[in-house]
Formats: sequence, C-alpha cells, structure tokens
Amino acid sequence: MDLLIKGGILYDPAAGWEGPAEILIRDKKIEAVSPSLGPVEAPVLEMKDKLIFPGLVDTHVHLREPGGENKETVATGCAAAVAGGFTAVACMANTSPPVDGKETVAFIKERARRADLARVYPIGALTLGLQGKELAPLWEMAQEGARGFSDDGRPVMNSGLMLKAMQFALVLDLPIISHCEDLNLAGDGVVHAGSHGYRLGLPVLPSVSESVMVAREILLQEAVGGKLHLAHLSCSQSVALLKWAREKGATALTAEVTPHHLLLTEEAVGDFDSAAKMNPPLRNSADRETLQQALREGVIEIIATDHAPHHPCEKEGDFLNAPFGVVGLETAFPLLWTKFVVPGTLSPAALVNCMSCAPARLLGIPGGTLVPGSPADLMAVDPQLQIEVDARRFYSRGKSTPFAGWRLEGFPVMTMVDGDIKMWEGKVKGFSPDFPGREELLCRNN
Amino acid sequence: MPKDMLNLHDFTRDDLEEILLRAAYFKKKDGKLFSSLQTKTIAISFWEPSTRTRLSFELAVRKLGGKIISFNPGISSEGKGENIKDTVKTLASLGADALIFRHRIPGFFQRIAQSTGMSLISGGEGCYQHPTQALLDIFTLQEKGIDFTGITVVMVGDILHSRVARSHFYVLPLFGAKLILVAPPVLLPPALVPAGVERSYHLENVLPAGDVIYFLRVQRERQEKGLLPSLGEYAVLYGLNEKRLTLLKENALLMHPGPMNIGIEISSRALKRLESSCPQRTLFREQVQNGVYVRMAVLDLLVAGRVV
Repeated sequence: MDLLIKGGILYDPAAGWEGPAEILIRDKKIEAVSPSLGPVEAPVLEMKDKLIFPGLVDTHVHLREPGGENKETVATGCAAAVAGGFTAVACMANTSPPVDGKETVAFIKERARRADLARVYPIGALTLGLQGKELAPLWEMAQEGARGFSDDGRPVMNSGLMLKAMQFALVLDLPIISHCEDLNLAGDGVVHAGSHGYRLGLPVLPSVSESVMVAREILLQEAVGGKLHLAHLSCSQSVALLKWAREKGATALTAEVTPHHLLLTEEAVGDFDSAAKMNPPLRNSADRETLQQALREGVIEIIATDHAPHHPCEKEGDFLNAPFGVVGLETAFPLLWTKFVVPGTLSPAALVNCMSCAPARLLGIPGGTLVPGSPADLMAVDPQLQIEVDARRFYSRGKSTPFAGWRLEGFPVMTMVDGDIKMWEGKVKGFSPDFPGREELLCRNN
Repeated sequence: MPKDMLNLHDFTRDDLEEILLRAAYFKKKDGKLFSSLQTKTIAISFWEPSTRTRLSFELAVRKLGGKIISFNPGISSEGKGENIKDTVKTLASLGADALIFRHRIPGFFQRIAQSTGMSLISGGEGCYQHPTQALLDIFTLQEKGIDFTGITVVMVGDILHSRVARSHFYVLPLFGAKLILVAPPVLLPPALVPAGVERSYHLENVLPAGDVIYFLRVQRERQEKGLLPSLGEYAVLYGLNEKRLTLLKENALLMHPGPMNIGIEISSRALKRLESSCPQRTLFREQVQNGVYVRMAVLDLLVAGRVV
C-alpha cells in the first residue's frame, strides 16, 4: 500500500539529510525522499511540523518471555517499544528457559510476529543455560535469526571459554555482547561504591568490577578478532580502556551506554529508592560526565535502554532484595532530547545516530536510515509536546523508573514499521481500543 | 519532629537538642513514674539479637507508663518483606502506636514507614544507622561537660560495617566536633569517609589528638569473611594496649557502644589500668545507663504527643 508523508522535517544522518522532506512509501519500503515530490498518486499522511527520524533501534532490552510473563511479554515489550519510537529491539537471552537454542529463538520471533508491532531480534546465550560452562549452539541460533550472543545479566567468568566463544563467533560474523562484571569483585553489592552507597550501609559494587572485565574483553578481542560490543558501560575507567583500545587500532569494538547512566548519579538512590537500583549501578558525577563526553566524542556510539521490567510487587520490596533493573523504552528518546538536544549539547542527527543508525549497523539489520530501498521504519516527534513521565501509563508491565515525574519534551507521536502505523499520538495498535484506523488517519489529515 | 526515627539526618539540630534536654529532665527525675505513654501501646520486635538496646527500650516504655506488645519473630526466620509488612499492618490494627525494631537489612523499614501511621523507631538497622546509640553518646558527653566545638573524636574499629558510626557521621559534625576515623584500609574505604571527616590507617598517629576515643566492636565474622587476616593482628595494630595508653591526652574519655571484646578493642591490662587509676575517663557504664533516658525522650517526643 502506498503512502506519502508530507509536511515533516527529516533527520537521516546516514543519508546526510536534514530538512523538510516528503517521503513516499511503496511496498513497505522507502521509494523516494525529496523536499517536494510533486504530484504523486498516493494517500497522504500529514505530519506538519513534526520531526521525522529513522525508527529507533535498541540493542539491549529484556522482554522476559518465556518464563517471566508477569514482568513483560514480547507483545507488551513491543508495545512499549513503538510507544517510545523504537521500531526494532534486540532482546537478551536471560529468560526462563534461557535463549540457548534455536527453539527459543524461533519462539520469540513467532511471538513478535503475532504482536505485529516492533521488529524483534533475539540475542542468543553464549553458554548453555547461561551457566558459563559450555558454549551454546551459536551457529544454530544464528541460522534461526539470532543477531548476537550474550549471557547478559551475568558475565562469563571463565576467560578461556570467552576466548573460544569469540573464536567461534568469527565464522558467524555476529557481535559478542559482554556484560562486564567480575563476580568476585562485585560480591553481593547492590549500589555503587561511592559516598552515597556507603552512607546507606548497603553492600557495594565498585567500578573496578566492571573495568577489569572491560580490559579482559578488549585484550581477548585483540588476540582473536571478531565483533565485540560492551554492554551498558557505567564508569570512567571503562571509557578510558575503550579509548586506549581504539588508539591501538581496535576495530569492530563498540560500546553502549544507557540513558540512566548518562543522566543520573548514585544520589538518585536517595533513601533506599529501588527505582534507582540497576546493574551496573548509578555511579558518581565524574563518571556521568565522562560518559556524556564519550558520547559527544563518539567513543561510545550507541545508546541502549537496558529496558529491564519487573513486576511492581518485586520492585516494591526493600532495596537490598528488590531485583536490579528499570524500564526505559518509553522514556529514552524524550529524556535525551530534553537533556541533550534542547540545550544544544547534542545535535538531533547525533542523537538519532546513537539510537538508530549505529545500533542497526551493530546488529547488521535493515533500518537506521530512510534512503530509498530501506524498510519504511520511522518515527515522528512533536517538538512542542511536553509530558510529565507517568509510569502508570506505560505499556510495559514494568513501572519502575527513576524518571517518574520528570517533565520532558520530544515525545514520539507516530511510529511506523514496514509502512504500517503502529503508534499514533501515544495509542498503540492492538493495545488501545481507540487506535485510529488507517483511513481515519489519512482522511483526517488530507 | 518527624514521626519515625530511622536515621538521624531527618532531624534538625533543634530537634536533637530538644530530645537531649528531655532526656536530661528524665534523668534528673529518675525514679519517678511518668504517664505520657499511658494511653499508648508500643510494639517491640527485634529481628536481630540484642540485649541492652532492647532492655533499654522496654524500660523506657515502662517508665513512661506505656503498654508493651513484645514479640519474638524468631531470629532464624528473619522475616520476608511481605510478612513484615503484614505484621506492621496487624500491629496497627491492634492499636499499636509505635514499633521499635531492629533488622539486619539497611532500609528495610523505609517504605513501610511511609505507608503506616505508626511511629517506627530503629533500634539498629543493618549497617545503616543506630540513631538512639549516637544520641545517647552525645548525651553522655554533654553530661560530662563537653563542649563539642573544637573537640576531636577519634573513632576506631570496623567503620565499614558500623551503624553507630553512620549515625555519628551526621551528628558529631552537626554538634561541632571534629571526627577522625581509624581502621585497617579494608574496613575504611576512602569513599566511606564523609566530607570534613579525616581518616588514618595508623592508630598511634591520631591517638594523641583525641579528646574522646570511641571504640567500635569488631565482629568475629569479619575474620571469617576474609576481611581481616586475624583478630589477633587487628588487636596488635588497632587495639588499645598499655603502651598506647601513654599516647592518650591526659583527660581523654573512652567510649564503646558495647558489647566490648576485651583483648581485641582494648587489652584487659589496659582496661584494668584505666578503671583503677582513672575510672571517670571510661564512660562505658554511663552510656548504658543514659540509654534509658534518651530512649524515654525519643518516645516521649515522637510518640506520646501524637494522635495516630
């Protein structure tokens, strides 16, 4: 079905485009982009004064299905994704059972197909049962559609096994995504080893528990080659190591940072607020500044949410026993828009590069751009719209966010996957009873 | 005045002075039975072992004429979050006005406190805080005529795991005292040291500066967890022995929240020497005695005047 998007301002850094554009969609793909396409035989979607971006891509989410359906399902996670402007997400393998074989990969893809919202790319486990003992069938999972491998949630402590995994992944040309944490240094820690965490008397997770593993992964990759992606970096030392590796000429080495590590410090824990409990923990203001600078300089080029939903009852317990993790899909873009783009520290093109182009490139998936021939995955933002973050309105089953009550701008108002509108003004197809029909949208805007 | 006492930093200096004044009044009128808690029911539940704090609170309630619901939840079961939330609701339904608790987990009662009208009063919470202990220490020193402005308190021991230390981090500087922390590095990470507080790894270097030497208990499980090579080694490096007695200021006062490990924090010979030659410089017994008056004051101000 054809569609012409008119009136919007397009930011597509991969195509070097920044300005007013008409976008013609044909057979689920971008057919043409031009300031003015002239007379075209197609229904029109009027997006006057909206900012149009390639659909966001998240390299790091937890959809919890199978096994954790009380926290999230593939469908609710995808609803949260399109509500937040994401058209593709890569979901981590720490489900129950874990994604350590082709059956689970196929199961998740089938769930995503039925949900018919965002594209879902499963990340396969590196080791069987996430046990860190034997390699999982990486090739088999890759055949089924896995787009990377990770034991995320726990590290592979056995360096020899990690080396073998990297060697094996060479054949598949897929990234290994490392959750960098030395369990002996992390102990039973739950907060950053900083003044705030110590003041609360909670067991601490020092930065060095992350950075020693970052160093190990960098050295292993240097020895083996292949694609290495460092998940959710949180501290200055990790950034320094990344820079060092790049200076030595490391390639196919990427890293991601989360919105919460970019915007918050350990102080957000306040008096035992479990909405600020995540792993890695929020660190100090110097770490936050370093991460922001690394993002501006392109040392870290991917922003990932680490969307980690939990059932509200689980997060409501005491801080020590509450699970790690907060939701992120429905707040990531407006947060970074409000805090970085509006004040001018990051350009819209730089932000969309971190949240769409670079993530798509890492996963080796279509998207991340709207050049003709690309899938019609895009989203539109109303720069005038200001909303206070209200977790009760999330599509995600997880409601725990450290950003509740923040007044933000730059909310996505339309998300499209394969030329099909999945979200319109906060309403999600299949989830909102009053989701408008295609004709209604096109007629109303004609 | 806040309804709960989970920590001290929720209290202003004026709040704390008021508590201390009230404690002084109760001590002056010792022996008299008061009735300010006559219509109140106070629940006491300790999920962690305690002798003196618990007895001290019980005595404080009785001296104010209050009724006690005391229940022993069983230390071993320790209580899951939901059970304790239910317990708190049950206590509120039964008409309890306050719950005095001790628990292993820092921050355990934070959220529960927000959801109940009862006063929650901490008798020590994990490694978080032990507010009434710090208050009774301040009271004991004030009673000795100490003007906190310009004095130096040297605190030595397991700072990392000490809830007493964390309450003092706030209250000693608030009253104007200078604080120096001394411990082996593994029990004194730099990030733990609050702004304006000094640290040292060498007891002998700082002992001469102390107007008050405050010893913290070193628990045997620290050695079991591999944080200390041995308690013997700790005693050699950080214990007060006869030789180190000579480094003390002439009038330095010695405090300990108890129970003391004789032979570890203080050698038995040093203790004997002190208690025979200058007993007025060791405040261990006064600390215990004053605990009752300070806890009476806390209950009187936080619970007695309040309508739930």
